[in-house]
Amino acid sequence: MPEFDLDSFKKTWQEQPVQDKYDHAEILRMLNRKSRNYVKYIFWISVAEFLFFSVLGIFYFYRGEEPNSFLKILERLGVQKTADVETNFDHAYLGIKILSLLITAFFVLKFYKNYRKIKIEENLKGLITRIIKFKKTVNAFIFISIALLVVFTSIFTAFIFYALNSQNIQPNHSDLTIVMVGIVVSTILCVSLIWLYYRLVYGIIIRKLDKNLKQLKDIDSQEI
Amino acid sequence: MASKEKEFAQLIKDNQGLIIKVSRLYTNSLEDEEDLFQEIVLQLWRSYESFKGNSKISTWMYRVALNTAITLFRKKSKSLQTNELDINHADFIEDDDEKQQQVSLLYTVIKTLPNVERAIVMMYLDDLPYKDIAENLGITEVNARVKMNRLKKTLKEKMEKYA
Repeated sequence: MPEFDLDSFKKTWQEQPVQDKYDHAEILRMLNRKSRNYVKYIFWISVAEFLFFSVLGIFYFYRGEEPNSFLKILERLGVQKTADVETNFDHAYLGIKILSLLITAFFVLKFYKNYRKIKIEENLKGLITRIIKFKKTVNAFIFISIALLVVFTSIFTAFIFYALNSQNIQPNHSDLTIVMVGIVVSTILCVSLIWLYYRLVYGIIIRKLDKNLKQLKDIDSQEI
Repeated sequence: MASKEKEFAQLIKDNQGLIIKVSRLYTNSLEDEEDLFQEIVLQLWRSYESFKGNSKISTWMYRVALNTAITLFRKKSKSLQTNELDINHADFIEDDDEKQQQVSLLYTVIKTLPNVERAIVMMYLDDLPYKDIAENLGITEVNARVKMNRLKKTLKEKMEKYA
């Protein structure tokens, strides 16, 4: 091959036969297809999560199964099911549920706002920065979801001790150990599963953007 | 059918070479190439409303096409690596014409570059002024120029090596 010169190759490049692959009708059909871009996927996944957890929360709230199973644990430890214990627990449970739904709703709203701000005609760096900002909201949502889970578990654990203390009960040592180990193991398992889920759903989708942004920043910081 | 849709379809038909080139540069199979073409057309259609003619049609199309390819499109196949440069690329062996063989080889070589560098080379080859290249990417004009000069050397070496 003779010496390659990009400038003298421009004409050949511009004249490559790429015109008229798609006709008028095919282009019009494309306008009615669904977009498959992944920022949209992230948004809809977050909305689906919100709906799923909200419906699940409302369902359990009305069936009242979660409080019942927790109260059974208390009974196993010897706590009497008094009106005082039940009322306090119901208040704590309702507060936690409302708080968790409010936080999720806040994030869905934030997702939506950030999503709307993403404009494809912005310059590449601006677009990537905006998508990364969108990603940060997702990360905050993940972090707060995990933190909430840990906080709620701690509140329930504290409630166990409060109930035992208020009724001056010395629980069977092995029962208490089983309950505590169960709580710790299930919390670790839940946190790991949530973390793994988000890493898979959002992590893979968004990693390449960091790479592109880094490259743009590198170009901008190059020595001239 | 709305006249706006017709007008848009005509615009795409007239400028489809640009979208085909971007689609080809950012994918490694015909299926992905067609998927990306459709995604770009959709994104162009969505931003057509807000296109106010402040920039040239080609600059706007480049911006949307490259943004879609680099940020929004989920390609199934990985980018080519320099050490797995595939000079037996299907397009390459199918072309009888020597010039087109060179074009195909250039595509393959450009595909070994990172996403942003691919965009710079492509816009340069299509004669976009440095001002527009820089504006589309969000970098300074001087840096776009410096980067392109370095890329010319890289491409020359690769083309001569793999020809």
